[in-house]
Amino acid sequence: MSEIAIKVENISKKYDLLHQNKAGGNSLVGAFAGGLKSLITSSHKGETHEDFWALKEINFEIQQGDRVGIIGRNGAGKSTLLKVLSRIVKPTSGRIEYTGRMASLLEVGTGFHGDLSGRENIYLNGSIMGMTKREIDAKFDEIVDFSEVEKFLDTPVKKYSSGMYVRLAFAVAAHLNSDILIVDEVLAVGDASFQKKSLGKMEDASQQSGKTILFVSHNMGQISSLCNKGILLNKGRVEQEGSIQTIIGSYFNQNDASNLDQSEFNYPDDPKKDLQITQIKLNNQLGEACRSFAHDEPVVLAITVEKKAALKDVMLGLFFTDMSDKRIFTVQLPLSDKFDLDNKRTFKLIIPHTTFIPNTYRFSVALHIPNIQLIDEKQNAGKFEIYDNGSELYRYAGTDIGVVFVNCKWEY
Amino acid sequence: MLKTVITSEDRSFLNLRELKRYSGLFKYLSLRDVFVRYKQTWLGFGWSIIRPLINILIFGSLSYLIDRSQNFTDRFLLVSAGVIFWQLLSTAILDVSNSLISNANILTKVYFPKLILPLSSILVCLIDFFIAFVLFLIFFFILKGLPVWQIVFLPLVIVYGLIFSFGLGLIFATASVKYRDVKFILPFIIQILFYASPVFMTTSYILSLNIPNWIKMIYQINPFVFILNAFKFCFYGSFDSSEPIYLAVSIGISFLVLISAIKYFLNFEKSFADYI
Repeated sequence: MSEIAIKVENISKKYDLLHQNKAGGNSLVGAFAGGLKSLITSSHKGETHEDFWALKEINFEIQQGDRVGIIGRNGAGKSTLLKVLSRIVKPTSGRIEYTGRMASLLEVGTGFHGDLSGRENIYLNGSIMGMTKREIDAKFDEIVDFSEVEKFLDTPVKKYSSGMYVRLAFAVAAHLNSDILIVDEVLAVGDASFQKKSLGKMEDASQQSGKTILFVSHNMGQISSLCNKGILLNKGRVEQEGSIQTIIGSYFNQNDASNLDQSEFNYPDDPKKDLQITQIKLNNQLGEACRSFAHDEPVVLAITVEKKAALKDVMLGLFFTDMSDKRIFTVQLPLSDKFDLDNKRTFKLIIPHTTFIPNTYRFSVALHIPNIQLIDEKQNAGKFEIYDNGSELYRYAGTDIGVVFVNCKWEY
Repeated sequence: MLKTVITSEDRSFLNLRELKRYSGLFKYLSLRDVFVRYKQTWLGFGWSIIRPLINILIFGSLSYLIDRSQNFTDRFLLVSAGVIFWQLLSTAILDVSNSLISNANILTKVYFPKLILPLSSILVCLIDFFIAFVLFLIFFFILKGLPVWQIVFLPLVIVYGLIFSFGLGLIFATASVKYRDVKFILPFIIQILFYASPVFMTTSYILSLNIPNWIKMIYQINPFVFILNAFKFCFYGSFDSSEPIYLAVSIGISFLVLISAIKYFLNFEKSFADYI
């Protein structure tokens, strides 16, 4: 039975939004003129206050040793929650209790000073993060080792490359002596191999010394490789808690609902057409409607075709495009012999798992007689998303590594 | 294990044990300010010598031109003493006032007892003062000889002066988190205090002037009057005193300022990151 490390009860955080009514229209000059006017008249009539609840009645408990990913769209309240937890801002109401020392890493290199050397900054930054001199002394060599900037230790950090700067800053943070570590989106920096190393360091810390970790990132690959639990935030509320895979799944489905994107497309009957597409559905392998698929999950497209008159040599064709409209590949199915019994039939295309590199893709569907006639066409009929749930690829997030994953064979 | 509770309680309390735990941060922030001060200057720490030297020479000589009631060396040393000590007190007020805003990037990213920031900004002022003080001692030794035995009170006077400056600065620092107006008002306040304190003009000179009594009263309850006169006392052994009753009031005011400053600071400490 593990102990509770963090207990959050009814936490809310309110911000006061100040709206300035458009005194001078929407132009820059207008805005300044409006500002001047209010300065002279010193009236605040043009302003209205509005309460904005960045967090609303948040409740959850975190067990000691858990690695919790906090997921949500921009503005869901993730960063505010971390700031409240790390005592940087105070909650408007509610109560939090935690056991042990907490270190929060909301930014890499907090307090770094460009004119100070790497060595001096290690001590300064370490002490800002709450380490004592003795702790820093003890870990100094490890920090330098981890950061790979040994040669430049006595150079002012303003002369560092941005990569070196980030490595040094993260190295200090990675060696914090704390029972709870809060990390906000800081691993988005640094090159791929250093990101992997940092993530590994955090994983070690959690597994070996039972460190509790709260981790915010938009990179689902990082989250699913590090975390075991997840909390989904939406508009300042906890929408769901659970295992990290469930939460990531819900997160993507949450995105769908709000994007008004569908997984089912129906097309009205067109009497002029002898053959037509009446419905396209996006399913997962269980036949459930779905628009976001895990990287290791097959994508199923169910296309319903209705026939009114006999046609020869008709092909059902699909092609897939990436978001920059580059065609990726095409699949075809001859239909001539497929309508023996029924005039309406659904064809399921199963795209094998790990085909697409995690990203968003569109598909177009057409019925045609090659080089002769285009019978029915649904350009950009729909789109779907492939998300990374812990493949090796998450390391390359942000870099262009192509669009499809080909399982090639090596011989040596 | 340590248990921490976060509530929506507005006020924070003076937690000396926590301050002690963060003494390392105090040290490194102080050192940072010291090291960074003259980075990328050609003269480097030379500025710490040149600045007070110029101040001493200009103000010391200038004051003799204006007031010739004493001979040059006495007048020169008296004003120099006031100038270097005032330099410490006024930069302490300024640096403490700026300490929160200039560290906004840390304030919004990490938790720590925020009192560390104004406290750590004092060390730089002290180091600069020490250099200026040595310069002054050299002048004093050459022009007058050894100071009187009362010099043993000097550390006490310096600490007391800093306590009041810190209190004043802390009020401005707290206010400036929400109102940047402080930045514009502060130079005027420092300038007014300069003339309202016995830096340039001695207290006996002010009190001998033919001005309304209430101005003299306000002048005498200014804690800096006692602080600067006490500093000069350490070198001359004679005290250029205001009336004892006002002296007591001024001491009372200085501690009242310190206590209210700390209270004001603690009341808002938890909201700093929201407003800065």
